[in-house]
Amino acid sequence: MSPVSKRDPRLGGGGGGGPDGELHTVMRGLSLQAPMPTDTGPAEVCPVCKSSRYLNSSLRFLVNPECYHKMCESCVDRIFSHGPAQCPIPGCRRTLRKHRFREQTFEDIQVEREVDIRKKVQAVFNKREEEFEGLREYNDYLNDVEDITFNLVNNIDVEETGRRFEAYQKANEKEIEENAQLAQQEKVSFSAMQKAERQQARERRDAARREENDERREVEENKRDVLNRLASGADAETVAKEGQQVQLKKRMDRQAATERQRQLQAASDSRNGSSNFVVKGLKAKQKAEPEAPIDPFGGIRIASKYFTLQDHYVWEGIQDTQKDVKHIAGGYDVRDYTHRSLCAAFSGLGVFIADEMTERDRATQDSEAIGTVRADIGLKDSLMADPL
Amino acid sequence: MTQTLTEDDLYRTSTQYRLWSFSPESLAAQRRKTHDLAIERARRYGGSLSSGGSEDGAAHEEAYVRADEELRLVQRYCEQIRTTSDHFKWPINVKATAVQYLRRFYLSNSCLTYPPKEIYKTVLFLACKTEATHMTLSEYARRISTDPDAILAPEYKVMQALRFTLDVRQPYKGLKGVLMELLNMASGMVGEVEGVDTKGAKALQQDMLGLEKPPKDAQTIWTAPAGNTEVKHLTDRINAAYSAARQLLDKPALLTDVYFLYTPSQLLLAALRLADSPLLSFYLTTKLPLSSPVRPKILATVHSCADFLAAFSERQIMTKDERAALEAKLESCLDPSTKDLVKAHAAAKLGSESDEEEKVKKRKLAREKSFKEGEELFGPSLGAAGAANGGKG
Repeated sequence: MSPVSKRDPRLGGGGGGGPDGELHTVMRGLSLQAPMPTDTGPAEVCPVCKSSRYLNSSLRFLVNPECYHKMCESCVDRIFSHGPAQCPIPGCRRTLRKHRFREQTFEDIQVEREVDIRKKVQAVFNKREEEFEGLREYNDYLNDVEDITFNLVNNIDVEETGRRFEAYQKANEKEIEENAQLAQQEKVSFSAMQKAERQQARERRDAARREENDERREVEENKRDVLNRLASGADAETVAKEGQQVQLKKRMDRQAATERQRQLQAASDSRNGSSNFVVKGLKAKQKAEPEAPIDPFGGIRIASKYFTLQDHYVWEGIQDTQKDVKHIAGGYDVRDYTHRSLCAAFSGLGVFIADEMTERDRATQDSEAIGTVRADIGLKDSLMADPL
Repeated sequence: MTQTLTEDDLYRTSTQYRLWSFSPESLAAQRRKTHDLAIERARRYGGSLSSGGSEDGAAHEEAYVRADEELRLVQRYCEQIRTTSDHFKWPINVKATAVQYLRRFYLSNSCLTYPPKEIYKTVLFLACKTEATHMTLSEYARRISTDPDAILAPEYKVMQALRFTLDVRQPYKGLKGVLMELLNMASGMVGEVEGVDTKGAKALQQDMLGLEKPPKDAQTIWTAPAGNTEVKHLTDRINAAYSAARQLLDKPALLTDVYFLYTPSQLLLAALRLADSPLLSFYLTTKLPLSSPVRPKILATVHSCADFLAAFSERQIMTKDERAALEAKLESCLDPSTKDLVKAHAAAKLGSESDEEEKVKKRKLAREKSFKEGEELFGPSLGAAGAANGGKG
């Protein structure tokens, strides 16, 4: 394959034109310049087994995005059923796998390939406009992406470009993932919004229909009422005038009601905020710092200076507890007990009370024998001054 | 701001260290001060007490209980707490806690003010509550044949004297920890301590098997076997040393001031030293690095604690007759303001109780009234209603 386009690389995408611009050009060209190939063309004959559609009307052709060589479905089954194999087209040594074969979407195999490449590039370079300082930077980025895409599509510096592409992918794995998720969410919420709009439209239509029915019924009732009154012998002119007035009043009432309804609706809308309005040009949000692990002792670490806890102790006093379901089921670990015991065994070994207390007493010469002095003060008295 | 706390720092955070640890001098000074204050108070009300139109001061001095007698009386009641707790078959930690409560109480109060005969029941009941060995008050009062009110009356006073710190650090759990470690060492497992070169578990086990016999005056009942010492014998030796140490921690430790003067860790190692000193010194070599600057000091402290425990003898405990004589003497100079604790306690509670009664009465009246009105189906009787109306009109 040597599909080198003669176009200037800068021609298609332009500065901020977006990656899709070129595709559209190509597709337009395709529909204009390449009319459907006639069924007598070589496209209808499998280049591998030479069977043609003329003999087998259900013949399907498949391509593999590895090399885009066309072959019929039965050849794919025959050659690749037992695992990866080389492409059977002479001169092409690529190894193909069966699961990658698919039906061609576009007539032109070049377009097919370009679309694939663009999809692949878009999946990786999925930065959003909000993430940039301004439009200028965003456009520059799009331009760079387009350069890479163009190089890949037209096989210019494929090695170098591929390396850059992969390096970027590896470096930005996380961001790519996040942006992909965002896009997914947008898609979901967009379809939900559309659904809601359709629902609202339907409700509006229903309401209009109901209203119309009501109106018609009222007119009829009015008419009947007038007739009844005429039949009972009232003055024809006054009755007709009254009937008209009643009808008019009813219509006015209804109009006022709908107007009120609309106002209410508008008020509630403005309260909720319209979902159509999108604030543009926002910076990427500052992501919250990942939560630090919980530190129950507030930065204090308890180290054991005199012992190292062992996993197992042979003392028979704890053997039963270690295996007893009653204790284990509740999450009790016998190591808690052993640790506490050992901690108690050495807690205060290096504390020399005589020395430390003499020192402390020197610091605070305070009376403590207040208990006896205040024996006669009532039992309610709880004033306990801490001398320390 | 990571801060590392060792076991020693943990102990320094306890109330036992902060409030209830003393050097021997400060402990003595504290007791002297309490006693002097009590005597002074006794003198003040003493005039009214001595009926026989008093003589000279010397005879008076004779009437008051001396400081050392007071101390021995408290010790006698510590023994009393021990026997009572054993009678209830309560675990050892209740006993130790109650004894410490009693000792702490009499640091700031004198026997002249509060007789230990009453207080010891209260502290034992308090200790059984704080150590989560529950017994109902009525059951407890019945079994020591006392009035429940007499048990509860001094409770608040006791709590005050304890400065509301109820935690008593005891050596028993730690002793079990040491037992576990020793048994593991005997079976060839060791948790290395940083800075101590132990040459591996096997070498330690061999060292342990080759330990010299316990000396003649050791408390342990274990005797070295005739032939070679095997692991089995070693285990027996450790267990014997453990139970001997526990005995020591049960009696001499509770009947002396050792809890005020040493930490539980030093206490249990001292008990082990009295039980089987070669075993203990071997154990400490695996714990304290030879280069450590505090090593000699720790060893000296443990030795002095052991000497303190060894100095205790049964004969120090007061006999029954002595106690009776002393209490008779105490009776004569007891502080009148604290003589009837039950009454004082009731009086202190009285104010709130009378309010309560009033409330109950009011509620009862209201209930009766509404009931009466409900009985009369057509409202109150006409006469009454008319009278009321007339009154209004």
